[in-house]
Amino acid sequence: MNTPFRLDDHKRRSQPLASPPDRYFDQLPSRVMARVQTTPDTGLAGTWGWLRHLSAPVRTALASAVVLGGFATSFWLTQPAAPVASSATALAAVPQAEMVQYLLASDQRVTLSDLAEFSNTPPDLSDAYLQASAAEVQDALDSQPSEDPYY
Amino acid sequence: MEDQEILAKFDDPASRNVAFNQLVRKYQQKVYWHVRKMVIDHDDADDLTQDVFMKVWNNLANFRRDASLYTWIYRIATNECLSFLSSKRRRFFLPINDVGAELAAKLEADPGLAGDDIERRLQKAILRLPDKQRLVFNMKYYDEITYEQMAEITGTSVGALKASYHHAVKKIEQYVMEESTRD
Repeated sequence: MNTPFRLDDHKRRSQPLASPPDRYFDQLPSRVMARVQTTPDTGLAGTWGWLRHLSAPVRTALASAVVLGGFATSFWLTQPAAPVASSATALAAVPQAEMVQYLLASDQRVTLSDLAEFSNTPPDLSDAYLQASAAEVQDALDSQPSEDPYY
Repeated sequence: MEDQEILAKFDDPASRNVAFNQLVRKYQQKVYWHVRKMVIDHDDADDLTQDVFMKVWNNLANFRRDASLYTWIYRIATNECLSFLSSKRRRFFLPINDVGAELAAKLEADPGLAGDDIERRLQKAILRLPDKQRLVFNMKYYDEITYEQMAEITGTSVGALKASYHHAVKKIEQYVMEESTRD
C-alpha cells in the first residue's frame, strides 16, 4: 500500500545538505577579494573605455557595423582595379609602328602566307619601314628560300 | 548595510574594495546555498560562488541602480548553475540521467542527510526534476522568493512559474510515495 507524502506536512529544513567547512564564510570574502585584485584589466578601461558607456543594443549595432564594414572593405580590395580587356581590344590599342618593330626584332619569321593573310596592311607600310624600292624588295624576296610552296 | 549604500560606496574608487567586501559578506550565504542545492558538491559550489562574485565585480559598474541588487545577483548565480550543469553534460557526453546519477551519488554521500530517510528521498526526488524546474522549486520552497522576484530572476512569467512549481511538487510527492512503498 502506498504511503501518501504531502510536502506541506514535511518539516522543511532550510539547509538540507551538510554545512561547508568551518569558517568557510569567514574566509570566502577575502578569497574573493584576492581574486578580484589579481584579475588583469580587460583593457576596456583605457582606449576602449568609452564602450562601457554605450547601451547593450548600441554596442551590438556598433559591432555589427564594424564587422559588415570589414567585409565590405575586404570585398572592395579584392576586386581588380579595371575590367580586363579582350585580346582583340588590347591588340588594337598597340600602335602599328611598335607592332611592326616587334615583329622585325623578334625571332619569329613572318612567312608569305602570313603576309598574304594580312589583308589590312596599308599600301605605304613598306615605304615607311623598309626604306626600299619595290624592285629591291622583290629581289630580296626572290633570293630567300621559300618554306611555303605554292600549289 | 543597505544595497544603495553599498552601491554608492562602490562608485567611489577610494571605497570600492570595502563596498564590495561588504556586498560579498551580505550575499555570500544566499549565493552559496542557492548554488550548492543545484550542484550538490561543496567544491563545485565553492568555485561557482566565487565565479558569481567575480561576475558581480566585473559588471557592477553597468548595473542599473534602480533595479534590485538582490535579484540581479540571484540571476547571475542561476545562470552560472545552468551553464555549469549543461557544460558538464557536454564535456563528458553524458545523457541527462547520468549527470543526475552523479549528483544523486554525491547526495547519498552527503553527511547532512545521514539518518534521515524521508529527507534523503525528498532530495533525490528534487534532483530528478529538470534543471530549470529544480531552480524554481528551490527558490520557492527553500529561499521563499516571491513569484514576482523569480520572474525577474528567470525572465519567465509569474503564471508559468506557478505552474512549474505546482507540477514540481506533484512529481516530488509522487516519487517519494513510490520510493517509500518500494522500501
